[in-house]
Amino acid sequence: MDVDITGAKILAEINVPFLSKYLGVWQLTETLVVSWIVMAIITITCIILTRNLKVENVSKRQAVAEWLVELVTNLVRDNTGGTKMDWLIPLVAALFSTSVISNLISLLGFRSPTADLMTELAWAIIVFILITANKIKSMGILGYLKDFTTPIFLMTPFNILGEVFTPISMACRHFGNILSGVVINALIYAALAVASSALFGLIPGAVGKVLASIPILDVGIPAIAGVYFDWFSGVMQAFIFTMLTIMFISQAAES
Amino acid sequence: MTQGLVAINSWTFLAQMLNLLIQIVLIRKFLLKPIKEVIAKRKAISDEELAVARKSRAEAEAMKAEYESSIANAKAEANDIIQTAQKAADTRGEEIVAAAEKHAASIKAKAESDIEQERKKAVNELKNEIGGIAVDLAGKVIEREISEKDHQALINEFIENVGEAS
Repeated sequence: MDVDITGAKILAEINVPFLSKYLGVWQLTETLVVSWIVMAIITITCIILTRNLKVENVSKRQAVAEWLVELVTNLVRDNTGGTKMDWLIPLVAALFSTSVISNLISLLGFRSPTADLMTELAWAIIVFILITANKIKSMGILGYLKDFTTPIFLMTPFNILGEVFTPISMACRHFGNILSGVVINALIYAALAVASSALFGLIPGAVGKVLASIPILDVGIPAIAGVYFDWFSGVMQAFIFTMLTIMFISQAAES
Repeated sequence: MTQGLVAINSWTFLAQMLNLLIQIVLIRKFLLKPIKEVIAKRKAISDEELAVARKSRAEAEAMKAEYESSIANAKAEANDIIQTAQKAADTRGEEIVAAAEKHAASIKAKAESDIEQERKKAVNELKNEIGGIAVDLAGKVIEREISEKDHQALINEFIENVGEAS
């Protein structure tokens, strides 16, 4: 039995005038569509949570919303020291929620947007832009350039590589973890289907033939692997990506 | 049709960047901002209530102090009034006593002078009467003619003796 593991499905190819000259044909991929679903889920959840907010006698919904806001606010403030980096809060909230929901949406049968390197690379580049902007802001453009030659001039190429690979490593770390989950899930499904047909093929007669054609073992058992690869890894990677974002940007602002 | 497992796709890349930025805006608008506002509102209300409580406490304390001072004032005033009244009463009593004493003294003086006058009057009357009686008696006892001169001297001597005796 062949196992075919591929990237996101291309749902449509649209030739956008002018822009396609530079960027190529727009391939509307599964990644984008599921990303929009994720965004819709997050936004609708936010709207539902913050519906009819009250100052007193708060509902459970509002308590959850306030708890979430406090959680992300404290996460940012504890890791940056004080309130001067509060502008990071929306970014951190968006990054973490998008990442978690993107990772976990595979449980609903969608292909995770985070199983596409472009997603993580896009996030990492935004983080990289913010890191650079903050470094330049705190050190000045000359100080920023001079920082590459420390501690000795010989280190300049390595420093530049280190800077450039910050977003790439962030993106690849997240992507690799999610992709490994996708690959292992596919392997488990395929292996269990083979095992299922071999096991039920032992039953003689027509019953065995019918049962062998149904991958019965695929029901339930992959969920056990999913506890680690989807739930644990999904939440963990979202957290790591968010923490790295906070760390790198606050370091850049303090340098 | 599918992409490769690790594919570079500039459209997806740009779209995902844009998606994250949009998500930041959406999360800010629909979650962070309303919650922040409601928390700020709650804080404002509790601050206001605290300020009101502080103010009313200060007012109550001021009122208490005022009340206590007015009570103390009233007490002092009452004491004053009592003292003044007592003093007035004392003075008045002394005045009355003094006036009574004076009155009594004047009555006594008047009585004494009246008595003296009466006495003198009585003495004079007695003098005259006794003079007459003495003359009569003398006339009758002695039954002799004495000169008017002797007569008068005799009378006077007698009266003198009476006066000393009285």
